[in-house]
Amino acid sequence: MPATEAEPEAEAVLTVTGLEAGYHGIPVVRGLDLQVRAGEVVALLGSNGAGKTTTLMTVAGLLAPLGGSISFDGESIGGVAAHRLARRGLSLVPEDRALFAELTVRENLRLARAKTGSERDVLDLLPELTKCLDRKAGLLSGGEQQMLAVGRALVTRPKLLVVDEMSLGLAPVVVERLLPVLRRVAVGFGTGVLVVEQHVTLALDVAERAYVLAHGRLVLSGTAAQLRDQPDLLTASYLGDAVRAAPST
Amino acid sequence: MTSYVLFLLLGLGAGSVYSLLGLGMVLKYRSTGVVDFAQGAIAMWGAYVFLRLRLTGKLELPWFALPHEISLGTGMAIVPALLITLVYGTVLGLVVFFLVYRPLLRAAPLTKVCASVGVTLFFEAVAVLNFGTTATSAPPVLPSKAFVISGVVIPGDRIWIAGIVVAIAVALTVTFRYTRFGLATRAGAENEMGAALIGLSATRIAARNWVLATLLATLSGVLITPISSLDPTSYTLFVVPALGAVLIGRFESFWITTAAGLGLGIVQSELVKLQTVFTWLPQQGLSDGVPFLIILVTMSLAAKRLGARGATGTLRNPSLGRPTRPGATALLAFAVGVVVLVALHGSLRAAFMASIVTVCLALGLVVLTGYVGQVSLAQMSFAGFGAFVLSHLGHSVGMPFFLALLISALSAVPLGILMGLPALRVRGVNLAVVTLAAAAAMDALVFSSVKFTGGLGGRKIGSPELFGLDLGIAKGNSYPRVVFGVMLLVVVIGAGYCVARLRTSATGRMLVAVRSNERAASAVGIRVAPVKLYVFALSAFLSGLGGGLLAYEQSSVSSSTFTAQASLSLLALVYVAGVGRIAGAVVAGIMFASDGLFVSFLDKTLHVGQYQTVVAGIALALTAIQNPDGVASNMAGERGPGPRVAALRDRIIPRRHRPVVLDVPGQDGAFVEDVAGPTPVSRA
Repeated sequence: MPATEAEPEAEAVLTVTGLEAGYHGIPVVRGLDLQVRAGEVVALLGSNGAGKTTTLMTVAGLLAPLGGSISFDGESIGGVAAHRLARRGLSLVPEDRALFAELTVRENLRLARAKTGSERDVLDLLPELTKCLDRKAGLLSGGEQQMLAVGRALVTRPKLLVVDEMSLGLAPVVVERLLPVLRRVAVGFGTGVLVVEQHVTLALDVAERAYVLAHGRLVLSGTAAQLRDQPDLLTASYLGDAVRAAPST
Repeated sequence: MTSYVLFLLLGLGAGSVYSLLGLGMVLKYRSTGVVDFAQGAIAMWGAYVFLRLRLTGKLELPWFALPHEISLGTGMAIVPALLITLVYGTVLGLVVFFLVYRPLLRAAPLTKVCASVGVTLFFEAVAVLNFGTTATSAPPVLPSKAFVISGVVIPGDRIWIAGIVVAIAVALTVTFRYTRFGLATRAGAENEMGAALIGLSATRIAARNWVLATLLATLSGVLITPISSLDPTSYTLFVVPALGAVLIGRFESFWITTAAGLGLGIVQSELVKLQTVFTWLPQQGLSDGVPFLIILVTMSLAAKRLGARGATGTLRNPSLGRPTRPGATALLAFAVGVVVLVALHGSLRAAFMASIVTVCLALGLVVLTGYVGQVSLAQMSFAGFGAFVLSHLGHSVGMPFFLALLISALSAVPLGILMGLPALRVRGVNLAVVTLAAAAAMDALVFSSVKFTGGLGGRKIGSPELFGLDLGIAKGNSYPRVVFGVMLLVVVIGAGYCVARLRTSATGRMLVAVRSNERAASAVGIRVAPVKLYVFALSAFLSGLGGGLLAYEQSSVSSSTFTAQASLSLLALVYVAGVGRIAGAVVAGIMFASDGLFVSFLDKTLHVGQYQTVVAGIALALTAIQNPDGVASNMAGERGPGPRVAALRDRIIPRRHRPVVLDVPGQDGAFVEDVAGPTPVSRA
């Protein structure tokens, strides 16, 4: 799918400036600057332990930031509890999906549904869920669970959807089916999407822009097209090369 | 036939109480994972509030010493009194939740149980202080007019109360299945992070459920009083049958819990009738005991159906100690113990002796709950059994005390193994409740036997003798005698030494392996079932030993010492003190035991006197919140006194082993292999 540039004037839903994030006061992510605009998909890439998940957890309010600022929808949100952020329209799909295994698919969706939202358009987007609406979430296959996790995040009508490692533990064919859904979410609902992904080529197919983290620092950023065209640069950045923006080709 | 129907209907009263309390407990468990033993105490408090409002128009506040009554005029009618009581219940639920359970939401289940025992003690003690211990009867709340249908007299109030219970159960079932609130509660309990990610606050959901459950407790208090007279302690005991119903409902189903509660009440009532028909039936304890036997047996057999939260992995294990140099520690402890015995006099010396006995009882839990992670709420039943066996042995003249003590301790072992059987199939909180049922059955069936326990007055115990030497706690005017204390020290420190050696032995490693992961343990060739039975047997032995010592210490033995409540308190004390360590047992005995050294000292210096139980309740809940892993774990930490005490011990009794000096070529220093790890030393 060709990546299209988001309108330059589209407003930023998420602006992260100089973020320091980590555990027990020890920073893992240092000095991260990042922006996600409404209606665009942004990929956060990097090798294991680069600080991608820590960044997402901090953005979603599950970890308190150690420094820097996070602004969501024009308001500073550093340290705001996760459930308040979720109500304000920031929805995280965590790595372990955090589904309610004992509730059915329908109940999972109904519980998350925003007052104005409906399950209908989400089911249109993820028609596979329609046939297992009355099955307990714990009994679904990995791919179906991931769809439900995304679906459950979408029924909250988020302004920003944050997805961690969507491809984890899933067959490539399922991943190829799922990742483009994010693109349609961004275009169809005008949602900003920030996605962490190990599967670099797939992520760059779906995303408009990407950031690469190594050892907790931003080492490369640019449009997906730029990064796709310069695999050597991408490899170098994975290995922790210096901070720079990808030169345009 | 009609009289059987009448007894059935009468049983609905008690059954409704169990169901109502049980429903509240299911609600609390499903939303917060707390098995709230304080539900009965809250019901009792609610009953007092309602009763005082009706009779005197005064609103009772749950504290003591300060003014605790607000006058709202003269006696009230039922409706306004009920409304005020329910509002009161709402506030009470919120306060208790945010003060006690909110800080413990992520704590281990047993820590929560300890806090709930603290809450129970608090309310019981405040009620005793403010209302006295005399039972009060209350005017009827529900229409009590009896009506007759085809010759059967039907007591109206029983039908009403049962109807209310069923209606509440239906309402709860529907709410949990079909409303957003119910869905949110189920979701929040299952996956707190998932709930937060869709905008639900798990804390808020838990708080709402807690309030709802507190309202149920209050309501049950209000409804019970006209049926069963009100006093501070008996209501808290309703928790035991209620828990039985909850267990049958698997901590999950409202309507099964309700049916089980009603069923229990009916069975108890019919047993009373049967006792009048078949006079050969035991006349004591039958109606109280049999339902628990039923619970015990069905739960052990139907264990596969048990599941929910308590099933696997939810019992987070407390941290374990690893004793170093048990021999030297035991010697030193003995020396310190003798010095303390000689230095103290009168009531403080007696309190120190009580502490030593508690240490022995606590050791049983260290082995069982600490080392193998099995929960038992029947430890005092083992102790009681041992003590009563000792009281019977004492009459056979000439038996050296240690032999009598050994036999009495051994007599508890078969009971321990019996209790271990359910543990082969049930885990965690479910096991706790099953053992509680067993303890309640023991209370009702064994300890109520006048022949075995001597009835209310209990049985006298002769002085321990060794080759003609009287080691008793009292002789003539001298009480308490040092020689008795020395005997206690020898026995208990000996037991502690054995436990320490067990912990570091190959068997000890097997125990800890089973605690960590039963499947992994069997994968490396450990047979889990025998290990569990072994540890239950050992724990029962230590408890029996403690029971025997307790009997010697008190010179008599009475069944009121060994109730299920006492077992619950013991577990709470030892858990908060640090159940994974022998030091925890010592802390429990010296610091926490209600008749122990520290509490008696406080009593003597600060004159806590009548407030002792209230303070104990608050202290227990606070300690559980502050030290979720036990006081002894904190003490053993780097900043605690543990390492310093160990260093002092090593200075007084230096290590005698020869260091192995490893010569490392090319290095300036050699390394000495030591228990504490390699230490560089300079080459001689």
